[in-house]
Amino acid sequence: MRRSIISVVLALVAVVAVSGAVLAGTGGGSSVTQARLERSLPTEFANLYSQQARLLGHQGVTPASLQAEAMCDKGGAVEDNVGPGSNWNCLVSWTDPNNPMPPEGYGKFELDVHSNGCYTASGPSKLVGFQTITDRRGAEVTNPVYEFDGCFDPQGDNTPTGVEFPSLVQVTTTALQPSDDGTVSLQLSCGTGVAGCQGTVDAKAGDTDLGTVPFTIPEEQTATVHFPTPVPAGADSVDFTVTVTKGVSSKGPGVPATTTLTLPAG
Amino acid sequence: MTSTTVQRHRAPVVDAAAHRPGLGAALSWESRKLRSQLRTKALLVGAVLAPLAVVVIVHSQPRPPKDTLFGRFATDNGFAMALLVLGFASQWVLPLLTAVVAGDIFASEDQHGTWKTVLTRSTSRSTLFWAKTAVAVAFALVTLALLAASTIAASWLVVGHQPLTGLSGQVVPAHTALALVAGAWASMALPIIGFTCLALLFSVWSRNAAVGIAAPVVLGLVMQLVGALGGIETLRPFLLSTPFEAWHGLLAAPRFTGPLLDSLVTSAGWSVVCLTAAYLILRRRDITGG
Repeated sequence: MRRSIISVVLALVAVVAVSGAVLAGTGGGSSVTQARLERSLPTEFANLYSQQARLLGHQGVTPASLQAEAMCDKGGAVEDNVGPGSNWNCLVSWTDPNNPMPPEGYGKFELDVHSNGCYTASGPSKLVGFQTITDRRGAEVTNPVYEFDGCFDPQGDNTPTGVEFPSLVQVTTTALQPSDDGTVSLQLSCGTGVAGCQGTVDAKAGDTDLGTVPFTIPEEQTATVHFPTPVPAGADSVDFTVTVTKGVSSKGPGVPATTTLTLPAG
Repeated sequence: MTSTTVQRHRAPVVDAAAHRPGLGAALSWESRKLRSQLRTKALLVGAVLAPLAVVVIVHSQPRPPKDTLFGRFATDNGFAMALLVLGFASQWVLPLLTAVVAGDIFASEDQHGTWKTVLTRSTSRSTLFWAKTAVAVAFALVTLALLAASTIAASWLVVGHQPLTGLSGQVVPAHTALALVAGAWASMALPIIGFTCLALLFSVWSRNAAVGIAAPVVLGLVMQLVGALGGIETLRPFLLSTPFEAWHGLLAAPRFTGPLLDSLVTSAGWSVVCLTAAYLILRRRDITGG
């Protein structure tokens, strides 16, 4: 009796292990795909966003008028956009006359997607607000788009949606720290988006040009650009102008973005 | 003299070979055995009362249980509450409810050493097998119906019946939501029958009620874990835990019913395989030692 139980359990374990290994090796055929998320998320977001508009008393917002569309990506450039995980990011754009989009043209949603096709999405609070909002009667109510659950059809349409958004290039350095030889470096990040980031950074300290340095950063990564010319003595700040050729700057597509960073005293 | 006449009148009604009672009689014995057990009554009473307690407790929480589907609306929407309880029940409560009866129904004959008595004097193996199976399945469905009715009623009365926000962000009016929630609960019937058959198989095969009750629950949890893992999702359609999630499509817009059809195939497959195996094991069993 005991022997038969052990042998059955061992057989089951072997079957599961072998099939698991085979499936893991072949990619697994997950029903969680980029195209399904890109269809499900904007639909749900548009429904919930018009609920929010009703709560806030905003006029003229319907799920159709928002024209929401999304581009989803799992784990940046290094991972295939398929399978469950908490590292899905979706860029969503929509049109609301009460609340225009930022210059890059989209907001980033973070998704935790489960293997059964259900997900939890959290919206960008600078665009959709925080967990609670004040409705038009003055009551504190839960913000329907701050965080929400949805499910897509695991057998639904899986043809690519073709929606693409450029990665956002941002300066992540907040305080300049010149090295011993007086030169400075700037850290840049390249957000979620299609095909990574490319461009140049021009640095100026007063009238002195510190040089123009090119950069190429893969999606969802950071890079440091180093300026060879030392900062002249007496300069108190440096202006960095980021010109993006692939991706989008924080001022919008094709517009150079200038960031001024002060130098430490002395 | 009179008594012989009576006997002679009765005798031709039943054929000599069919002196054994049929399926109907076996069914009534089995259901009577089940009804007289304390745990059966306790389970049925529990299925009615437990949801009420759960609903009241969850409703009184200051923060809604957001980690389960519909949890974030559960404290202020009765339909969401009923679906939250459904999601929780399908994790292990439903397999356990049915296994408590189905896992014991054959093994108890071993435990009490009554196989010989029952089979040599009363009925045939296959009649007894089908009677026990039918009673176990009927019990599972009755328990599910009670649990569902009690949960939906308690949620409706305690939390309310506001329009529900569905899984595509759509607003579902109350009367549609009620039908969809009831449908979601009804879709549990398929996997619960599958788990009943699994428990019956363990009950026949292990001859031990503890194994019959625990093994399906543990297997259910293992299948859930396997189903949640990434990379091996091709296994999901074969797992008996997947049908427990088929109702999601009912609450989406547009509705999708593909997973419900898959659920039918999966549950039927597991049921047929488990019942066939259980039947063959029981047919080949040597009961003379029991």
